Amino acid sequence: MVPAAAPDLELTVAVTLTAGALAASVLLLATIAALRLERRWRLWRLGHREPAWLEVLHRAATEPAAARLAPIGAFDLPAFLRLWNRVYGSASEEEAPRLAQLLRGHGLHDRALRMLGRRTLGPRLIAITTLGHLREERAWAALEDIARQAGPVVSFAAARALLRIDARRALESLGPAIAHREDWPLARLGSVLHELGPTVVTPALLTLMASRPREGLERIVKLARFGQRSRVAPVVRGWLSSSEDPLVIVASLDYVEQAEDLPWVRSAARHDDWRVRMAGARALGRAGDRGELELLLDLLRDPVWWVRYHAAQALVRLQGLTEEELEALRHGARDAYAADMLAQALAERPRR
Amino acid sequence: MSILVACVEWFFLLYFVLANLGPLALNLLAMPALIRRTAVRPLEDLPPVHSGFEPPVSLLVAAHDEEGTIAGAVRSLLGLDYPQFEVIVVNDGSADGTLAALQEAFALEAFPEAHWRRLDAQPVRTLYHSRSHANLRVVDKEHGGKADALNAGINASRYPLFCAMDPYAVLSRDSLRRVVEPFLDDPATVAAGGTVRIANGCTVSDGQVVRVALPAHPLALLQIVEALRASVFAGLGWATMNAVLVISGAFGVFRKDRVVEAGGYRTGTAGADMELVARLHRVLRAKGERYSVHFVPDPVCWIEAPESLAALKAQRIGWQRGLCEALERNRAIFRGGGTVGWLAYPYFVVFECYGPLIELAAYAFMAALWITGQISGTPFVAFLALAFSLGFLLSVSTLLLEELSFHLYPRFSQVGVLVATAIAENLGYRQMVALWRVLGLVQWLRGTRAPDR
Repeated sequence: MVPAAAPDLELTVAVTLTAGALAASVLLLATIAALRLERRWRLWRLGHREPAWLEVLHRAATEPAAARLAPIGAFDLPAFLRLWNRVYGSASEEEAPRLAQLLRGHGLHDRALRMLGRRTLGPRLIAITTLGHLREERAWAALEDIARQAGPVVSFAAARALLRIDARRALESLGPAIAHREDWPLARLGSVLHELGPTVVTPALLTLMASRPREGLERIVKLARFGQRSRVAPVVRGWLSSSEDPLVIVASLDYVEQAEDLPWVRSAARHDDWRVRMAGARALGRAGDRGELELLLDLLRDPVWWVRYHAAQALVRLQGLTEEELEALRHGARDAYAADMLAQALAERPRR
Repeated sequence: MSILVACVEWFFLLYFVLANLGPLALNLLAMPALIRRTAVRPLEDLPPVHSGFEPPVSLLVAAHDEEGTIAGAVRSLLGLDYPQFEVIVVNDGSADGTLAALQEAFALEAFPEAHWRRLDAQPVRTLYHSRSHANLRVVDKEHGGKADALNAGINASRYPLFCAMDPYAVLSRDSLRRVVEPFLDDPATVAAGGTVRIANGCTVSDGQVVRVALPAHPLALLQIVEALRASVFAGLGWATMNAVLVISGAFGVFRKDRVVEAGGYRTGTAGADMELVARLHRVLRAKGERYSVHFVPDPVCWIEAPESLAALKAQRIGWQRGLCEALERNRAIFRGGGTVGWLAYPYFVVFECYGPLIELAAYAFMAALWITGQISGTPFVAFLALAFSLGFLLSVSTLLLEELSFHLYPRFSQVGVLVATAIAENLGYRQMVALWRVLGLVQWLRGTRAPDR
């Protein structure tokens, strides 16, 4: 027997849940309406201010004396700084200091410093980026603290700002983090170093490379490409003979251009790791001559497609080999894979 | 008998609550990630600087009888904003002039490429390079279906990441940059899915969505609300737990070496894309490797939703069959444990695979009780009201997330239309789709082979 109250209970539960769901829906709809109204008002306000700000920023970049910036209220500050960063990001070398002067002249650098302490992520990130662009030394300690934090987005933004303020000092301070912090993507680090330019980056990179950390050396070797090649190449090539990490060897092989490194390259071309063999094949193509023919023909029969591909490319660019000799090698290849790959490399040659 | 009826009633009640609370919880999980993303957006306004470390991507387009559209689709892909990518069109044994259209548009020439056959696929007839675009190649092969064509594309691809996409998809210019971001930020990433939005009603020019608007067709409108609820934010919710099981076949990026290790796309299944993601989870968990599957919520990919009932029905039956096959073939995910094994997999089995059957059974059961006089009209109406109100709450919660994040529909009237659609959706559309999904489930249970075009 079912207790008499059972159906009622079920009905009560259903009705209560329905009422609760409808009430929550109405609440969410009201929130949507409120958010939309707030956004509309914000966009309207911004739509009125942004054209004037843009005009001032463009004037400040070209005729700084004529630029007059109306006072910026606390509410508008993040939006104005966001716009300033956007304009600054595409400014020329001449214009950038003038834009920085506009902020300093109106005390906005001090207000950006105070914004660093904000808890809201958006304004905080804008403040960090602004202070980096301004190369604001007074923000150094605060930015260093932020860069040591766990969150990848804010910590990396702070690291980027530090690098902009003083690349050498920042690389000394952040060196271990650059090597270890996998949540700081190489692509993003690379874009910052690229932005700073090889002249600024090279001394600090050399210091970092000289420290030769046990962990993360591979990351440093990869970043070395943003330094001046003539200065970093000897250091990186030196690791060819002293490192056993395949990824470090692969990165080092990219710096091989001279015949004196060929003994290491030949050893790499016989490495167990296919990535090392592939990089070895590429290096043989750059630095070798017809003396490397036998080794490259061996690599042309490698079980890994990519090794065969780069061996074929290396053969085609190898100094001293004529077109006829290459065709003869292709026709004489007993391995079908090797012949196909050489045919492809020969066909690709005029396309470059 | 009464106890049994009461138990069944409670079961259905509980099912409806859980079936809606689950996606609500996913929306809640997605919310912090969306808010964080919105906060970071000001920095994305700054001009992008490419470092040279961005992994190059092979875009794979499987084309079968696409004579009229393929050239335009490829042209818009070639205009994507990304440092290094190649486009590989796989002409999957088209019977029409697809290959001729490509040859004419892109000055193709046969090329003696040493084909690397890492994955099984139907024989390749000829490989073509484009004389006008150095990063375009065409693989002409025997017909084998979409999964087979993608495997052939993987074989021909040269880059470490590949992007599987639908030739009908419209991608935003920054789509590749956005969907590759997880690979830069997290070296353990093996796959990332892009959000697929509905293009009906939008203005597309030069291969780009230039104006977002709501469609006039009610069926397309219903699918917009449905997609917001079922995939856009739910995907992000699952991603916060590294438990994404579905990446749309229209736009997803994968690490090639991992996919090759897992065996590539499975042919002869209606849901090869989902099956691949499920298999990646299964294989990588079995190996005990750290990996992650991400979901990018930004609106990067747009497709036309069907506007006829027949096309929609065929699509939903196919999706359901694909889902069931993918789950069935990768049962071992459950044994692998973790969030994906003990939460996502059972959730998909209960609520996505068998859910439509339970839902329809509940309606039928309650109606039968009412018709036979075992319950009065009040509990029956209360049950229907509960199903409606929970569904509506879920739809409204996704509209709130949309408001917090992307604002694709900025006008008040558009929100009004979406809210009205969210109400209407519960009055027949959801039940109709559930019925089609049950048909898909039945076809799968009966072992009907899925067409894989």
